[in-house]
Amino acid sequence: MMLLPCPWCGPRNATEFRFGGEAGRRPDPASASPEEWRRYLYFHTNPAGWSTETWYHGAGCRRFLTVERHTVTHEVRAARDTATGTTGEGIS
Amino acid sequence: MSILPTTRRTATPTSQRLGHRAGEVIDRSRTVSFTWNGRPLSGHPGDTIASALAAAGERVLSRSYKYHRPRGLLTADYLDPGAFFQVGDEPNVRGAHRLLEAGMAVSSQNTWPSLRFDLKAANGLAGRFLATGFYYKTFIKPEPLWPLYEKVLRTFVHAGAITPDPGAAYYDKRHAHPDVVVAGGGPAGMAAAVAAARAGASVMLVEEDHQLGGHLRWGDGAALARLRALRAQVAAQPGIEVLTDAVVTGRFDDNWIPIVARSLPGITERLVKARAAVLVVAPGLIERPYVFAGNDLPGVMLSTAARRLVNLYAVRPGSRAVVMSANPEGDAAVADLEAAGVEVAAVLDARRQQGVARAHGRGGLRAVETTDGRRIEADLLVTATGWTAPTSLLNQSGDRPVYDQAAARFVPDPDRMPANVLAAGGIVGDGTVDQLVEQADAVGREAARRATGGSAAGTVPGLRPAPHPELFAAGTGGFVDLCEDVSAKDITTAVAEGYDSVELAKRYTTVTMGPTQGKLETVNAVALVAHATGRSIAETGTTTWRPVYAPVTLGALAGRPREPVRYSPMQPWHERHGATPLVAGQWIRPEHYGDPAAEVTAVRTAVGIIDVTPIGKLDLRGPDVAELLNLLYVNKWSKLGVGRVRYGVMCADDGVVLDDGVTGRLGEDHYLMSTTSSGAATVWEWVENWLQTAHPEWQVHVTPVTTAYASINIAGPRSRDLLSRLTDPEDVDLSADAFGYMNVRTGTVAGVADCVLWRIGFTGELSYEIHVPASYGLHAWERLVAEGADLGVRPFGVEAQRILRLEKGHAIVAQDTDGLTQGFSAALDGLIKLDKDDFVGLPELRWQQGRDSHPRLVGLQPLDGTVVPPEASQILRTDGSIAGRVTSSRMSPTLGRAIGLAQIDPELAEVGTRVTVRLPDGRDVAAEVTGLVHVDPEGERQRV
Amino acid sequence: MSSPLARSPIPPGPATERDGWEVDARVPGGPLTLSDETPLAKVHVRAPFDGASRAALGVGFRRTRRADLGAGEVLVVGSGPGEWLVLGAPGTAGALRAAVEQRLAGTGEFTSVLDLTHGRALVRLHGAAAPAVLAGVCAIDLADAVTPDGSAFRTSVAGVVTDVVRDDLGGTQRSGAAASDNGGVRSYLLHCERSSGRYLADALLDAGRLSGLAMTGFRGLA
Repeated sequence: MMLLPCPWCGPRNATEFRFGGEAGRRPDPASASPEEWRRYLYFHTNPAGWSTETWYHGAGCRRFLTVERHTVTHEVRAARDTATGTTGEGIS
Repeated sequence: MSILPTTRRTATPTSQRLGHRAGEVIDRSRTVSFTWNGRPLSGHPGDTIASALAAAGERVLSRSYKYHRPRGLLTADYLDPGAFFQVGDEPNVRGAHRLLEAGMAVSSQNTWPSLRFDLKAANGLAGRFLATGFYYKTFIKPEPLWPLYEKVLRTFVHAGAITPDPGAAYYDKRHAHPDVVVAGGGPAGMAAAVAAARAGASVMLVEEDHQLGGHLRWGDGAALARLRALRAQVAAQPGIEVLTDAVVTGRFDDNWIPIVARSLPGITERLVKARAAVLVVAPGLIERPYVFAGNDLPGVMLSTAARRLVNLYAVRPGSRAVVMSANPEGDAAVADLEAAGVEVAAVLDARRQQGVARAHGRGGLRAVETTDGRRIEADLLVTATGWTAPTSLLNQSGDRPVYDQAAARFVPDPDRMPANVLAAGGIVGDGTVDQLVEQADAVGREAARRATGGSAAGTVPGLRPAPHPELFAAGTGGFVDLCEDVSAKDITTAVAEGYDSVELAKRYTTVTMGPTQGKLETVNAVALVAHATGRSIAETGTTTWRPVYAPVTLGALAGRPREPVRYSPMQPWHERHGATPLVAGQWIRPEHYGDPAAEVTAVRTAVGIIDVTPIGKLDLRGPDVAELLNLLYVNKWSKLGVGRVRYGVMCADDGVVLDDGVTGRLGEDHYLMSTTSSGAATVWEWVENWLQTAHPEWQVHVTPVTTAYASINIAGPRSRDLLSRLTDPEDVDLSADAFGYMNVRTGTVAGVADCVLWRIGFTGELSYEIHVPASYGLHAWERLVAEGADLGVRPFGVEAQRILRLEKGHAIVAQDTDGLTQGFSAALDGLIKLDKDDFVGLPELRWQQGRDSHPRLVGLQPLDGTVVPPEASQILRTDGSIAGRVTSSRMSPTLGRAIGLAQIDPELAEVGTRVTVRLPDGRDVAAEVTGLVHVDPEGERQRV
Repeated sequence: MSSPLARSPIPPGPATERDGWEVDARVPGGPLTLSDETPLAKVHVRAPFDGASRAALGVGFRRTRRADLGAGEVLVVGSGPGEWLVLGAPGTAGALRAAVEQRLAGTGEFTSVLDLTHGRALVRLHGAAAPAVLAGVCAIDLADAVTPDGSAFRTSVAGVVTDVVRDDLGGTQRSGAAASDNGGVRSYLLHCERSSGRYLADALLDAGRLSGLAMTGFRGLA
């Protein structure tokens, strides 16, 4: 089972997290065309390589994290708190 | 063709136990009694079941999987394919590994009518019918015959009998976090463990066998001296946890390493889930069988098996032996056999092109035919023809072993191993014990450095594999896989039929798919495929060695089986009062207390109380809560006054209905949101998601308080009377003017301060929902029951609640909607405010309304009111096509007729439309589309 | 109307009354025990994770501290980023909440203080073998180097999201954010949503079956 380096809790089993998919931007609901909106809802690049993803640490700090993960090797090169930008330095 | 007994031997087997051996592991001072196919036998503590049987002179221990051929010991260890036994209730016991215990009832598996005379052995004679790919070719068509095929197949399956009663078995699990896991407790494993621990690492040393030591255990005096010294070092070194009779079953991402450990006091098996910084793979080498005609006869065994039997268990493996040796270990076996009093009739030196061509016998070895045409009478044939590196754990770490032709084995490729996996000892290469220990010592130190130091990886000394002749098959037939009864000819045939890659041949013939999982047979199978295709072994490559390394019991995986369950504070009362439990997610809730229809009637005519504690509750505080609610709900929230309650529905950004509930404003910046019971966790995460990822600038604190409160709904025309008996009018004025519909307030109920009182309801009756601080929930419930006795108060369960809400036409999210139901298909037309600037799901709902082609949620009543169409019954058009489905249906005690809700296409959604409902039994019934609300459509009853 | 008695979700053995709570009457003791500490006052604080409120509470995420915030001795737990749980003696929840609110009032930060005494179940797993029992249901490394005395973390315990606080008892050093083993007896406070409390206690007792884990009476913070 892979570990995810939570910026708040340290490395934790992936089962503590919920995968939120590729991080994407929500278009402006006032002006988005159906095509733009559905691209946001349903279209993902699904790369075999580096991917920027959202993970929710539901069994830990309960924070939403932005994680850069290599989908082939599972290597994680960056993980930060999506809201605060915290990367784990000097927390406690 | 006649059925012949497979052996003519009738004499009682005689004891084959030798005198004392220097390395023996048995305790001769004690005797252990057991039964073998009902016959009393005995052995000594330290014996395996198989060694005790061998000592008693038993040579035929089992029947093979497909052809029911007699089989004896091949490896005399964990892997032995000839020694799977039924022991009491436990099937598939590895008899050459499991230690003998007093009173064991051991039987050979699936032999009928007896081990020595097996009728199914006729299949051996009928072998030509069990052709390559037999299962695929024979049991395919016609499909209606599958039940028969299953019976036939089961008759042939060699798998023992299980009991549904787990008895006293206790399967445990635990987590562990060693710096270093060493897989394998031979000389290299022990040396690596000691070196790592000396360097400050915490070490878990895992050995498959019952003692540490590996091949040193059956070696000569010098080896035994070395064994004692290494064991003493392990014992004296702090920081090493030794697990014997334990198997590392795999290596997963980030060194997640499951280990199954047995022989622990009070525990049947324990699954250790280790997360190691570094894994050291030190399994040694596995001796490879040689493939020739008759190679599965009892009496044909590996050199390591013969040496284990002689030196560990003091058992004479035969009386007259032929030894085929290609290496020093085979030569040592000759010496061991001679020392044990076995007559060695011939030594065939494979390094000088001597070898075995065929073995002859029935039910046991009688004679060996050599490649130079000699025929030698013998009851024991020992082969030492090469080694296989068990690289599973390395493969699972990303390594891809390469074939070293000079050494006749696959060896790890150190360049492909990740930094947190190292290999030590014989799996890497060959050497003297000193050289193995020296290399492993360096590996152990490096493992500790990587685990605790964190600096850049250093270099690890290698070991060169020694030259060894390539010996796989004599070319005379014989079995490649003794677990699966796959012959050399099966492999050749598979290649001829086009299955010319080793992965395809494996799946087609099932070679390597038995209990030994390829450890004995993979390389021989690869060599045979290579030979048949004219490619080299390196070109042919090997099959993938996946987890698990060794078979794992379901008990070890299940562990202590436990699923989280949640209880309301009133659960003890429900249990005492005959509630039928309903499992709803993790919650245990009362479905009813015996008569749900009477519970409904009590609510409509008097008063009922229901435990609704699982309803999700989120405490929301901060100046931006109204903004949050406006974003998440489809309706408007900016003008909700303090003390007021509003119903809201949430959709996702695809417009699909997510959840619903009421939210009340308790203070200027303080709201309490309720969710559905099943949606409580989802909505909490949903709210956090929008706050953390879309609007981190908003000041809102969300705290789940679902079970901080016991929630009780009090419903019915007498609910005000009942609640007034538990409240003080000075504190809580329940009059309609002071506390109207859709209002919320706090107060004291039944002497409990800080309760939240809501005037809301889903039953359509006058009703109150009270949230009582949970520690007092049972108290409040008992007071309601006691104070309401003369009012006819009755507890009601989830079933009555479902009927009551259906009578009122309230949709349940995920019951009357599904994962495709957008807002306008959930009868939310009046609620959805498309004129808001934004809310989650807004664009999709705007487009849904514009298309106007969506299914509608409607009421439905069968014309025959006695028929309740089951939920999910289909609604048909006149041409028979499907126009919708019944989403909810019940018999209404209030109306005395069947009622329902349905999702239906728009052209049939008009009130008064006649539709056809197809019942699951195929009957069609007529029904009429109605408004959603079946009882009191004007809503008069709750506004009193 | 007599004042109602508060009850824990974990059924007590022999019961007695204490500070308005029904508690297990047994005298706490034994080499390896589980005790129901649900009656302790539990005040939940939300504030920015790294600001003046943190300074006022004296401890950050992942650490604990014994202190007196104005309502008797309490254990302040940094239970999440910007989240604290303050544990106090039974019956002090109201006073404790007021004291914490007062302490945070001057920070000027956006803060919330909730009394969650009735919303959470709390047990203490105590004894030298406590880590071995906990390792049966919890994937976190319980070694001193990773989770020393005074550390706090949230994780899955037996499938339930649980706040775990290492709070060794009887050690030489009893306060402050000490980073090493204080020589006391291993002790863990485990804290989850109230409705899961009975299950969590049962799961721990089962995991400790072979270690001789037994229920004992209410201990309190001392």
